Amino acid sequence: PDSKNCAETPEALITRIAGTRDRAAYATLFTRFAPRIKAFVMGQGMTAQEAEDLAQEALLNVWRKAHMFDASKASAVTWIYSIARNLRIDAARKAKRVRELPEDLWQGDGDKAADEQIVDTQSAQIIKKMLDALPPEQKDILRLSFYEDLSQSDIAKTLSIPLGTVKSRLRLAMTRLRTAMDGKSTGVKS
Amino acid sequence: MSAIHHPGEDLLWDYFRGALAPGLRLSVSTHLDLCPQCRDDLRVFTAIGGALLETTEGVAMSDNALDLALARIERPVDLPEVSDAPAPARRPAFLEGFELPPSLQSAEIRGRYFVAPGVWMAPIALPGEPRAAKTYLMCVKAGMEMPEHTHRGREITVMLQGQYRDHKGLYQRGDFTQCDEADDRHMPVMMGDVDCLCLVAQEAAIIPKTWLGWLLKPIARI
Ligand SMILES: [Zn+2]
Ligand SMILES: [Zn+2]
Repeated sequence: PDSKNCAETPEALITRIAGTRDRAAYATLFTRFAPRIKAFVMGQGMTAQEAEDLAQEALLNVWRKAHMFDASKASAVTWIYSIARNLRIDAARKAKRVRELPEDLWQGDGDKAADEQIVDTQSAQIIKKMLDALPPEQKDILRLSFYEDLSQSDIAKTLSIPLGTVKSRLRLAMTRLRTAMDGKSTGVKS
Repeated sequence: MSAIHHPGEDLLWDYFRGALAPGLRLSVSTHLDLCPQCRDDLRVFTAIGGALLETTEGVAMSDNALDLALARIERPVDLPEVSDAPAPARRPAFLEGFELPPSLQSAEIRGRYFVAPGVWMAPIALPGEPRAAKTYLMCVKAGMEMPEHTHRGREITVMLQGQYRDHKGLYQRGDFTQCDEADDRHMPVMMGDVDCLCLVAQEAAIIPKTWLGWLLKPIARI
């Protein structure tokens, strides 16, 4: 593949970071993803400052963990997404802990690590295409789930529809996406 | 052999977004260790999240954000590897011989106590768990039966060993089941000749002895 910066895939950028600690590659990746992560977590209720900090932290994690990323197996975008998601969950738990249980110590509790949910690049592409093709009412459920971080009962309230309808729409969407992914999945397991 | 009873989409979603209380989180995590199908669902969630992130319209970072980012990667890392898996907790002797999934290998399992002949429970200490909630391992000797009982609040069971049957089906290793007030005439029957070990997470305060103590009774082996 040619190495023009604008055409370079995030997979290639992360590989360069891992290989030669390439700062230019990092700058490109940062410019491309930090604003998106910021937007994403702001939608989920973080303030602009918190979101900016989280985006910084997420990309710093990408720099530090680049050697753990395997471009032949995993989609970079989903990997970055997982890192951001984990940071957001940690931040939310810390905030809750400070509010409710100031003296409580925290420790690992068996959550799955980000890189255990490896999504290969081909599956990531398929899902991206399929998302557009979903019926609007299924897309709405996914949008509220991911962008607004709502539980299914909150989604039901927001849309004024029964919880059962939310569940069945999500199930429909998931079945479609899973089937599409299974058709191509390389079965990457940790 | 893989699980046939799974957590619903709503629980899996709440797990994925980090919104479950510790006991429920551990239950779903344990099921995931034993269920490739639900792990695949999480993978789909991750793929959706990635796709949505990719198509998100960004919000501008502050002017010096890139400079800051480039400066931060030059600083030495304060901590060695932060993300290493937690060291396995010391495993109590009474768990010898049981095959525990990874989620439980790092859990802090306290001493066991018998609530009835042939039935023991071992509480699991979970940081941040609400006072009313209880999470524990429960082992029921093969050949016991649990007479009809009711539930208060949501109660999750993940089977780790052995099998039992109730009006909803047969449960074995990996199976995830949820009982609540709606299951008001619940009567699980332990099957086979292997002791049942399960992880139980209760949302509401129930003093186990009140229902287990008198509800369990040995039955004749067939
Ligand atoms: Zn499952
Ligand atoms: Zn029951």
